[in-house]
Amino acid sequence: MERVMTLMARGAIGGVAEGEALVCPKGIGAFGGLDPATGVILEYDNVNRGETIKGKILIMPGSKGSNGWSCIFNVARVAGAAPLGWVFSHIDSSAAVAAVLLRIPTVVDFPDDQDPCSLIQTGDWVRVDGETGVVEVYRPAEADGSD
Amino acid sequence: MLRLSDYEKGVLDGKEGRLQQVCLENIVRYAEVLGADELCEVTKATLFCGAHNYLSVCASDDFDEVFSRVNLASDEIVPFDRTYADCHVQSCVSPCDGQEFEAFGQTADFFAKNAHYLERSREAGVTIAGSCAPYLTGWLLARGEHFVTTESSVTLMGNSLWGAMGNADGIEAAFWSAICGRTPAWGLHLEENRAGTHVVEVQAEMRTALDWDILGRAVGVSLPSGSSPVVSGRFVSVTFEKLRQLCTSLAVSSNCRMLHVVGYTPEARSVDDALRGTRPAGTLVIDRSALEEGYDSVCAPGSGPVDFVSLGCPHYDIDQIKRVAYYLEGKKIHPDVHFMIWTVYPIKAMADLNGYTRVIEEAGGHIYTGSCPVTMGEVFLDSYAGFVFDSLKQAGAARSATAHPVYLGGVQSCIDAAVAGRWEEGLRWRG
Repeated sequence: MERVMTLMARGAIGGVAEGEALVCPKGIGAFGGLDPATGVILEYDNVNRGETIKGKILIMPGSKGSNGWSCIFNVARVAGAAPLGWVFSHIDSSAAVAAVLLRIPTVVDFPDDQDPCSLIQTGDWVRVDGETGVVEVYRPAEADGSD
Repeated sequence: MLRLSDYEKGVLDGKEGRLQQVCLENIVRYAEVLGADELCEVTKATLFCGAHNYLSVCASDDFDEVFSRVNLASDEIVPFDRTYADCHVQSCVSPCDGQEFEAFGQTADFFAKNAHYLERSREAGVTIAGSCAPYLTGWLLARGEHFVTTESSVTLMGNSLWGAMGNADGIEAAFWSAICGRTPAWGLHLEENRAGTHVVEVQAEMRTALDWDILGRAVGVSLPSGSSPVVSGRFVSVTFEKLRQLCTSLAVSSNCRMLHVVGYTPEARSVDDALRGTRPAGTLVIDRSALEEGYDSVCAPGSGPVDFVSLGCPHYDIDQIKRVAYYLEGKKIHPDVHFMIWTVYPIKAMADLNGYTRVIEEAGGHIYTGSCPVTMGEVFLDSYAGFVFDSLKQAGAARSATAHPVYLGGVQSCIDAAVAGRWEEGLRWRG
């Protein structure tokens, strides 16, 4: 693994988390589209349908869909199926409530030319520092430069 | 840096009690994550009360424990026993009908538990309405009024149709605000954030409520996160019902919380008016093929047997029920089909008064209140093998919950399918 990029944005909830990235470039319509007991994405038109958010670093543009968005992640927290940390291209109200409830490292509000949803790939190893707003992205050395 | 009033500082010091204190502490954290400068007073709220399925993760039936752990995110038990005195608080849907439970595969114990959860909320100051359409029961917003709601279509309608001010906070934050009377003055609570961001030119002919329902998805999936579209076109016969479907499907297809429809929403007398002197970040054209793509992404292809037909998302008003009754007069629902209309209790009482309920029940249908199929969830849906809805929101959520075919159609198409016990491909796009 080697560090292939470092992104810098606003740290919203402190702490450091690292893990495998799950990138949802269109977000997740969580209410009715995410099983909070397992963290598995059920949303019928989600590119990551069938994948789990549990133990991942979740990369999303923001929230999506029903106002019940935060509660599904909140219940996933209670069930032990929450992500380890998350990154939002731009904070919004639902995402902010969810961040308050989950209290996991959260980095938000990236510059327009550094959209994490297009720069980070599912499967990347990502380190999120919610204090400094630094997001480090790692890939296997042989994959470096392949994209 | 968040500025607080003397009253708010007093609440944080515990002068209004522990519940208010915990809720305002959460609102302050929420405001800090957003980067808000101050809070604003909330005078209308709808809350997601009841023994909702997602609460079962707590493995407890104790209302106070479940409420504290989930809605307050607190291990400390803080009883929910009051709401903010100056806030009009109504309940959104719960997982139960007002009277029946066996028809939905639910147990008497679960029905009683839900009734207990609702009663505890009522005692705390929440008027039990049980509706995703609180405006049907007098929860009406003024321009500039600050609100919170657990129903995403109401967020969009409140901002867009009535010029009120609200964000999509979510279930927990709506409780916090309804209890302490404050929400972060951020996003759509601030005048400067209400300009349109993208222009949407609708070239497709828009005739039916179904067309407007599909338009919401077509726009929602095409715009970047955080957009507020300015929708323009040569529209005719625009009604509240059509705009309501647009708001409902747009809300579940995106994180858009405000839109403008040029000529029809109050902050959009023209495109320039809606943009408020800003340059649009982009322009989107919606033609007939974009609508067809949106429809095909939700509605199953072809024809097939159906045993579940549901109307009323959002909850029907009395005129929508009247139209169903008129169309059903003299018809019989297929014996294998559970045909239902969802509304709120006072509207059901009006349907009783006007004889619409009798016509619908004599045809073999039902009018239910206080919930909806997707809110009831798998306990209800798993007993059926072919679904028809007149709402993209319900159809989409059902598609996420079942592998069986889900069809989407106009009201009369849905009723025709209920009578035949079968969805025919020719019903697609019909009103």
